[in-house]
Amino acid sequence: MNTDLVIGMAGSGGDGIVSAGESLLTAAAIEGYHGVLAKSFGPQIRGGESSFRLRLSTTKMLNTGGTLDIAVALSWDDFLRFGGELPVGGHTTVVYDSITKVPIDRIPLVGVQPIEVLAVPIEQMARETGGSERAKNTVVLGLMAGWLGIAREPMMAGIRKRLAKKDAEIIDKAVKAFHAGFEYASAHPLTSDRKMAPPAKASAKFVVDGNDLCAAAAIVAGCDFFAGYPITPSTEIMQFLSREIWKYGGTVMQAEDEIAGIGAVVGASFAGKKAMTATSGPGMSLKTEMLGLASIAELPLVCVNVQRGGPSTGIPTKAEQSDLFQAVFSAHGDVIRPVLAPVSAEDMYGITIEAFNIAEQYQSPVIILSDQEVGQRKETAEPIDASQVHIINRRVPGAQELEKYVRFRFTESGISPISHPGMPGGNYLASGIEHNEPGAPTASGEMHSRMNEKRLRKFRPLLDRRDLFIIDGPPDAPIALISWGSVAGVAIEALQIAQQQGLKVKLLVPKLMYPVSEAIYADFFLSVKRGLVVEQNHQAQLFRLIRMFVDVPSGMQTLAKSGSNPITPLEVVDRLKQITLALQQGKDREPSEV
Amino acid sequence: MSTTATTRPIQDYTAKNYKSDLKPIWCPGCGDFGVVQAIYRALANIGRPPHEIAFVSGIGCSSRIPGYTTAYGFNTVHGRALPIAQGIKLANPDLLVLVAGGDGDGFSIGGGHVAHAIRRNVDLTYIVMDNQIYGLTKGQLSPTSRRGLVSVTSMYGSIEAPVNPLLYVLGYGAEFVAQGTPADMSGLAKVIEEGIRFPGFAFINVQSPCVTYGMDDQQLKAQKALMQPLESLNHDASNSLAAMGLAQQYGEKLYTGVFYRKGTPSPTFEGTARARQQELGAGTRPRAQVLDLFKLKK
Repeated sequence: MNTDLVIGMAGSGGDGIVSAGESLLTAAAIEGYHGVLAKSFGPQIRGGESSFRLRLSTTKMLNTGGTLDIAVALSWDDFLRFGGELPVGGHTTVVYDSITKVPIDRIPLVGVQPIEVLAVPIEQMARETGGSERAKNTVVLGLMAGWLGIAREPMMAGIRKRLAKKDAEIIDKAVKAFHAGFEYASAHPLTSDRKMAPPAKASAKFVVDGNDLCAAAAIVAGCDFFAGYPITPSTEIMQFLSREIWKYGGTVMQAEDEIAGIGAVVGASFAGKKAMTATSGPGMSLKTEMLGLASIAELPLVCVNVQRGGPSTGIPTKAEQSDLFQAVFSAHGDVIRPVLAPVSAEDMYGITIEAFNIAEQYQSPVIILSDQEVGQRKETAEPIDASQVHIINRRVPGAQELEKYVRFRFTESGISPISHPGMPGGNYLASGIEHNEPGAPTASGEMHSRMNEKRLRKFRPLLDRRDLFIIDGPPDAPIALISWGSVAGVAIEALQIAQQQGLKVKLLVPKLMYPVSEAIYADFFLSVKRGLVVEQNHQAQLFRLIRMFVDVPSGMQTLAKSGSNPITPLEVVDRLKQITLALQQGKDREPSEV
Repeated sequence: MSTTATTRPIQDYTAKNYKSDLKPIWCPGCGDFGVVQAIYRALANIGRPPHEIAFVSGIGCSSRIPGYTTAYGFNTVHGRALPIAQGIKLANPDLLVLVAGGDGDGFSIGGGHVAHAIRRNVDLTYIVMDNQIYGLTKGQLSPTSRRGLVSVTSMYGSIEAPVNPLLYVLGYGAEFVAQGTPADMSGLAKVIEEGIRFPGFAFINVQSPCVTYGMDDQQLKAQKALMQPLESLNHDASNSLAAMGLAQQYGEKLYTGVFYRKGTPSPTFEGTARARQQELGAGTRPRAQVLDLFKLKK
């Protein structure tokens, strides 16, 4: 019996790979399991290749694990296009469609001896029962239900529901295809045990993905306007809102480009509404001028960047964490734009609400730095209790303030009450040009300096927001583990494993990426001699960003990898072991005293 | 910036109520002085209180105009006034939204946005001050500069044909298209007022000469000689083909008045959006209900 299994599957674009993964996750979730489903695609719409990695567990986890326990290849060509994303190891059960006619000893798994390899007549079963090879994914679902010992009934219900609009004959064929797979699995038990243990606590869950949850959270936060331009892997945010936001009184505009998208959002915010746009790397480049405008005009807005591989068009369909520098530094001038990063799809709810709250409170654009994995993966989540949500709205001027209204008045907090068109007495000129307190244009160096000071000072309270950091492990641990975004889920698990193995490690995960809270980092580093920053980019962007602002112990190292191959918890633990050993032996550089 | 005029009855508004205390930075003799006066007059005739007006602009000499009015103003970034104005109008369809800019702002850097503002038919009034030159950056070629024009970026004469703003917007299906000039202030105020009253996207091209980098006194005189009110031609403004024919003479003639006004205006984006919101029951359910979509369905 297993408490944790990683299943990977690949096939061509039309094989229904992702839909099979989703069905399996949903069925397992109904039975009470936890799951994380990452989807990965080639560049083509049809044909091409697609894959999923699904990790099922009896307990909560936030990453898709390491080497596959079960690998399913509908075609070896498609499977191998995912290379390190679907790693096969010595304990893997490999299942492939026997129609590929590759002799077992010639399966192209270079240097790997899987525990067992099965050629299964998947397409043949699909044709015999469903009449078409399109039922291959349903046959695989039957195989999984049989071998894993879970989710037979919910899967059947799921299949019926998915095909509800088709005629009875098609549903009947799909059910037969599922049974064919299931019976095949019963007749051909695996030598390796792949049965899942019962879940620890079978409770009702949500199944969420980051993009949809971001969109839903925006509605909860009070967002009434969205404008954006389609770009992978962010587009589901616009799609969700264009379906749902009208029901709550909002509007969606599909803009002609990314600039118009954020421009309309700036306008809607000026008009007094909460507004959001979403994009990915290249679109973010286009939006930066408008971010500067919103900063100097002190207008709240939320801008989501669902990061993909970059630069330029890069790898549109796969995750990377390489836009941190861009998020923090891309608009010109002295300006702070708060940047928040979610650690999971589930976390997108809290992060999106927080982004709106910070935007409204400090009258500023706020960037949510999501990524393809957080945005598009599906995972089980605890039901969200929206009655507990804390919503902040921008401070509008009261009657007295409107008697002689001064839009950009210097206040102690740096925040000045903000009016909007339609509000009598609140009339003012907003501008991208530097202005004085009432809003009139100025070229005075002194006024510019004072306004800069006001616009930077207002964010000071953010630097004390410990709740925007995950801090775990013994406070006096000499080894630090730091990570962010979707990779933080790997670090969280690595910490647990490291502690079980007796390593003295503590963890810090910033969700507030910028401004960098020097105090929170400095406090964390007090006991630290050595450590590791784990992230999915080439330049170690978080590591370098922290070093700009904080005296980092000299024994800090990086585990920074670009590309879409997952960083695994065990890989992180291995590095932590090496670091611990080096510290014990007093090897490598002596850490500086903090 | 603030106004005290908000509680007055509508009929009491005069041009003065829309004039702010800010002193224009324009060169003496600039055509834009006349344009802003015409805007004050048009607004007074409409009679909406300044706080219900949002006046958006891009960057350039003419884009300073919002600051010279008592309305809510937004002097944004180069070329992007239209997307911002659309956001304002879609966020609050009850506002009167005006957009001002120059020919470079509207037809060079911002040219891509014009088509889509027209296509969405958001109820905006877009006033372009067309002086065929870049004034604020001191005399470079603009998209409406005539072929052969010698400027600081075309020392041997412009090699490019000019954009024809009137044909451009007619081609994209604008339903209200007019032209004016500060040389005929009352005519200009009239077309601006008509544009504001038109229920949909309205475009007004204003031949507003730049006296510093554009026309000298003699050229100004020559331009005035080209002026001809469309009324004197018995032009049927509901005929879009006739409007296009007249628009083709941009640069040769200076027709003033309404080129095209669609008889039955199309629905606006914001009007349809409002209807859709009501249809889908906006305001009848708590926002948190959207989270129900994530519940597992057995």
